[in-house]
Amino acid sequence: MNRAVPMIRLTVNGAARPVAADPARRLSDVLREDLGLTGTKVGCDAGDCGACTVLIDGAPVCACLTPAAQAEGCEIRTVEGLSQTAEGGAALGALQRAFLRHGAAQCGICTPGMLMAATALLKEVATPTEDQARAALGGVLCRCTGYGRIIAAVCDAGRDMVGPAPSAGAAVGAALERLDGLPKVDGTEAFGADLWPAGALVVRAVRAPHPAARFVFGDLIDWAGPRQVRVFTAADIAGENRFGVIPPFADQPALAEGEARLRGEAIAIVVGEAEVMATLDLDDFPVIWEPLDPVTDPEAAAGARAVLAARPDNVLTRGRVVQGDAAVGLAGAAHVAEATARTSFVEHAYIEPEAGLAWLEGDVLAIRACTQAPVMDRDDVARVLGLAPGKVRIIPSAVGGGFGSKLDVSLQPLIGLAALKTGRPCRMVYSRTESMQSTTKRHPARMRARIGADASGRICGMDFEGTFDTGAYASWGPTVANRVPVHASGPYRTPNYRAETVAMHTNNPVAGAFRGFGVPQAAVVQEAAYDDLAQALGMDRLAFRRLNALAEGERSVCGQEMRGVGIGACLDALTPRWEAALAEVAEFNAAGGTVKRGIGVASCWYGCGNTALPNPSTVRAGITRDGRLVLHQGATDIGQGSNTVIPQIFADALGVAVAEIALVGPDTFLTPDCGKTSASRQTVVTGNAALRAGWALRAQILARTNRGDDARITLAPGKLLVADRTGTAEIALADLAAGAQGYVLMAEESYDPPTEPLDENGQGVPYAVYGYGAHLAEVAVDMMLGTVKVGRITAAHDLGRVVNPLLALGQIEGGIAQGLGMALMEEYVPGRTENLHDYLIPTTGDMPRIDPILIEVPDPKGPLGAKGLGEHVLIPTAPAILSAIRHASGARVTHLPALPHRVLRAIREAGR
Amino acid sequence: MKSFDYLRPETLADAIAAGGAPGAAYLAGGTNLVDLMKTGAAVPDRIVDITRLPGLDRWEWLDDGGLRIGALVRNSDLAHDVDVAQTFPAMAEALLSGASGQLRNAATVGGNLMQATRCPFFADPTSSCNRREAGSGCAAQGLSARAFAVLGASEACIATHPSDFCVALAALGAMVEVAGPDGTRAVALTDFHRLPGAAPQTTTVLKPGELVTAITLPAAAAGFRRHARYLKLRDRTSFAFALVSAAAMLRIEDGIIAEARLAFGGVAAKPWRALDAEAALKGARPDADAFATAAARALEGAAATAGNGFKIPLAARIGARALTLAAAGTPAEMPVLPGSVHLGEPAHA
Ligand SMILES: Cc1cc2nc3c(=O)[nH]c(=O)nc-3n(C[C@H](O)[C@H](O)[C@H](O)COP(=O)(O)OP(=O)(O)OC[C@H]3O[C@@H](n4cnc5c(N)ncnc54)[C@H](O)[C@@H]3O)c2cc1C
Ligand code: SF4
Ligand code: FES
Ligand code: FES
Repeated sequence: MNRAVPMIRLTVNGAARPVAADPARRLSDVLREDLGLTGTKVGCDAGDCGACTVLIDGAPVCACLTPAAQAEGCEIRTVEGLSQTAEGGAALGALQRAFLRHGAAQCGICTPGMLMAATALLKEVATPTEDQARAALGGVLCRCTGYGRIIAAVCDAGRDMVGPAPSAGAAVGAALERLDGLPKVDGTEAFGADLWPAGALVVRAVRAPHPAARFVFGDLIDWAGPRQVRVFTAADIAGENRFGVIPPFADQPALAEGEARLRGEAIAIVVGEAEVMATLDLDDFPVIWEPLDPVTDPEAAAGARAVLAARPDNVLTRGRVVQGDAAVGLAGAAHVAEATARTSFVEHAYIEPEAGLAWLEGDVLAIRACTQAPVMDRDDVARVLGLAPGKVRIIPSAVGGGFGSKLDVSLQPLIGLAALKTGRPCRMVYSRTESMQSTTKRHPARMRARIGADASGRICGMDFEGTFDTGAYASWGPTVANRVPVHASGPYRTPNYRAETVAMHTNNPVAGAFRGFGVPQAAVVQEAAYDDLAQALGMDRLAFRRLNALAEGERSVCGQEMRGVGIGACLDALTPRWEAALAEVAEFNAAGGTVKRGIGVASCWYGCGNTALPNPSTVRAGITRDGRLVLHQGATDIGQGSNTVIPQIFADALGVAVAEIALVGPDTFLTPDCGKTSASRQTVVTGNAALRAGWALRAQILARTNRGDDARITLAPGKLLVADRTGTAEIALADLAAGAQGYVLMAEESYDPPTEPLDENGQGVPYAVYGYGAHLAEVAVDMMLGTVKVGRITAAHDLGRVVNPLLALGQIEGGIAQGLGMALMEEYVPGRTENLHDYLIPTTGDMPRIDPILIEVPDPKGPLGAKGLGEHVLIPTAPAILSAIRHASGARVTHLPALPHRVLRAIREAGR
Repeated sequence: MKSFDYLRPETLADAIAAGGAPGAAYLAGGTNLVDLMKTGAAVPDRIVDITRLPGLDRWEWLDDGGLRIGALVRNSDLAHDVDVAQTFPAMAEALLSGASGQLRNAATVGGNLMQATRCPFFADPTSSCNRREAGSGCAAQGLSARAFAVLGASEACIATHPSDFCVALAALGAMVEVAGPDGTRAVALTDFHRLPGAAPQTTTVLKPGELVTAITLPAAAAGFRRHARYLKLRDRTSFAFALVSAAAMLRIEDGIIAEARLAFGGVAAKPWRALDAEAALKGARPDADAFATAAARALEGAAATAGNGFKIPLAARIGARALTLAAAGTPAEMPVLPGSVHLGEPAHA
């Protein structure tokens, strides 16, 4: 329809911004697209996430649901306005500085919305209470932080202070503010959807409305022509139309060919000018569907129609670890507990839906998109599009949360195809629904464990079986199937062990990597059986776990001799609160009433890095002629903090202050491969590479100047000063020849964690480094309503060496939030929960008080003793909460999440 | 998104004239309509933005002590007004238990009445849905799902009405003022929404072109101010639609219930006022037995579909709990988490 587009007279951050736009367009869209104010984020376009919060006449509203014309004549304030000084300059406000100081921004995608909601609150109350802050931020979702640091920052905004700036050699261990924090709080951080050149074409996908269906296209040219768009399908793909994070299993087409295997699978892309695409209706896209009977039950999948022809029995893979004889161990046990558990699909629900831009740089295809694994993206895109890997350049954008799902490519091959075909820059942003439908989930599991203990309470055998619904394509299914048997014992001494898993294909969403790779599910069933055993033995649940905790030098179920084992220390650290809480609960429950309280405990261990497979990282550092120290840090920072932690380790190894380092972020053309950000490996693996690079560069400098080990290195314009007791030597950098990389001094070091292959019984050395932890959950259960409120979680984590306590605490709190969601509310059902009001993740109101305890039992192989943490943090949360629910109510909830109807049923079954 | 015309009338008469055309939709705060236009569940040809209509954005106290609330009053403005909240506390609590602060700042009370069901198939044009498209079928039937209605459902539709505000209004005996091509009329809130029957596509008694201009609360409704609560069970602590909810109000004289009001949310395609339960409570002592019996009576006609049977006893328990809380007295201050069932459990131990 050709209509005159009226002028809307907006006033944004104090300036008149008239814009010609359709009156009913979303204000968020007008701010971002027409006014270039991309600090306002869009996470859902439905009012569910609050990322788009702006102030209209001082009141926070969702810009995504505000028709632009309604804001006419009002004063609109966005995050960009927060750093405006009265004089028209730019400087961070006190609230923004408080966010940095408290580590309130992790990935940063929720930060603009949080800041705007908090700004409105602070206008009314200068020093709000935590309850006031919680209420004011209740409409903004954050998937990274667990909210605690955000609330603390808001309450503390009035107390403006400066964070620590450690001197040379003192970076590791310092609570340093994130080095990449500034753009996250001033609205300039460029996520996948935030950067595009004028005139970039827009790409949209046509997706399957059925979980399983064959399809044929109608006349695509006839359809596309009059609409002034172009359509590309699998027929346009020049390379091999299959991708996958584990190359031998790669099986997922970028665009389906004739058959769609999950709801939301892309079958075609449509490309056109932005104005055309904005009003394009895909409902009449010419495709005829022939729905097939979908395979939906993983346990019945073996005999069902093959989802993929190459895997006729629908078995993707099996995993197995066997040590001793589980049957014999159980037969000799004084007590045997049997537990079952069933978990649901869990959505990553990062607030940033997938987004990116592709363009051509000569004969190189460049892609800037949100990702956790740039080099893997490069290889997948090259394979699908038929390019040499060297002709694909991946530049990760800032990532608004990943948690595992952004390890797999999503839109990269699609925008790459569009750019190759059109020769124009092409951009794409997934809608929330597309993101939820088509990207990976946590594997639903059906598990059974039998665990035996002798009369003294020592574990003497364990038998575990798990069926994992891996969905239509492989993704990380093999990793989950292999990781689970290695970890299903928990961090406990378990002789006589058998754990077998199978990953089954269905027409459900693709299950892939999600913080913990299946281990959080397995912990649910193992810890439930431990509670049974403790009860049968008449032992305290915590004491029972302490008795069986792995100790230094003991062997794991894989036969690995364990070093730096911190689980005992973690459990010990919980003991004081455990004893106090037991007494408090007993007193509370004795008073009667429909609400009962209970406490629970669970542990975790987790191997950092790939399971018995190489996963090296390489770090390069160089000094330029003019005396700039540059660190090529290729570990993508998805909010977890590599951009800060890796420089901290490197700075101490080289012996300079962190502030001296210039970072070159991940870019497959500029940074050596640091592997993927997953498996809690970056601090350990890239950290080790950074440590070695720092040492190597230092050794070169000391050798050149003939100074001793304790020499102090100072960077000065054009020169290096190296001082020790014997005096100060100088390196005149301008006199040195620059190498191919442009550095006069350079070091590049790799580190690959030493592992040993696993034999057919899973025996070997799967990981070089493990981390440990244990949670104590305190809950209240309403016996009449089946509702559960988590009041407090005490979380002890052994990090080996705490590189940055501020970031570590943020990881712990954020992991607990995800674990709490998995335990109590998160259940993805295709077709029914494809948005963030039907799929619920915790808000400020759900989060308990969290008391973190950081423990340092150094690992001999970790950098300076450090261990990974990112995934460990959510493993114990759900089992600890379930244990507490049972302690409170008798209800043994075996089907997660523990929604009221399930809790009520379990209470009934328990006869209470 | 499809293209459409956008009009912003300055007078009520112009609005009614523009809104009467086929394919026209009124736009208020947009928090529901803009979303439904995105999913494709609503495809209006013409949007009639009523937010600039004069006089509808305020409330006034009537001479007899009643309250007349203009349709364009924002949910948050109403809930945060001290006089309003003290006189009709359950209504304020219901409003503040809904959505988020950002949404309440934009959402109007008229739009709240008119908001569409949150049945996921209604929002998804690739699913069959009699409510969205008459006669196309109902994708929800036969599915094991928790959210659907247990009262007043039909073969054609088992969806629920998502509003919290309306539950309190039903209990308060609110009237809805409507203006249309044939003039103005007033409808009891409990008659305003329609049960699905064979025609779930017609969700209210509004005729083409009619719009809601105000909601009035009778003076008598203020008599419950000392014993009034809204209780909302949801799958997360805040910012979620009700699984089941109840508004309960009592007038207690000399230790006896002189008058009771009870209405439920999340159980039917309309806010469900439980007149039988109210009658049973009249003259009774405000104790647990009376509340449980009355609440159970409210659910007597309930029928489950697959997967929501638990809601029937649960709704009765929520009703009884809301009555118990109301009997204990309206709290002096709005609870930190309005409507929350986690009472006495501090958000942070
Ligand atoms: C994420 C989210 C969570 C929510 N949670 C809750 C909740 O927990 N509890 C709850 O009660 N509500 C909840 N809501 C719903 C919210 O309260 C409604 O969206 C809002 O009240 C609608 O008001 P509006 O002014 O924005 O209406 P609009 O979106 O402008 O309009 C909604 C409908 O009403 C019609 N309409 C509007 N005004 C009039 C009028 N005066 N006369 C006739 N027709 C009219 C429109 O044509 C349209 O069909 C939630 C909404 C969102 C987006
Ligand atoms: S329950 Fe009602 S709203 Fe939901 S699909 Fe069926 S007809 Fe549509
Ligand atoms: S983008 Fe507006 S609320 Fe999510
Ligand atoms: S920091 Fe809040 S979503 Fe990532």
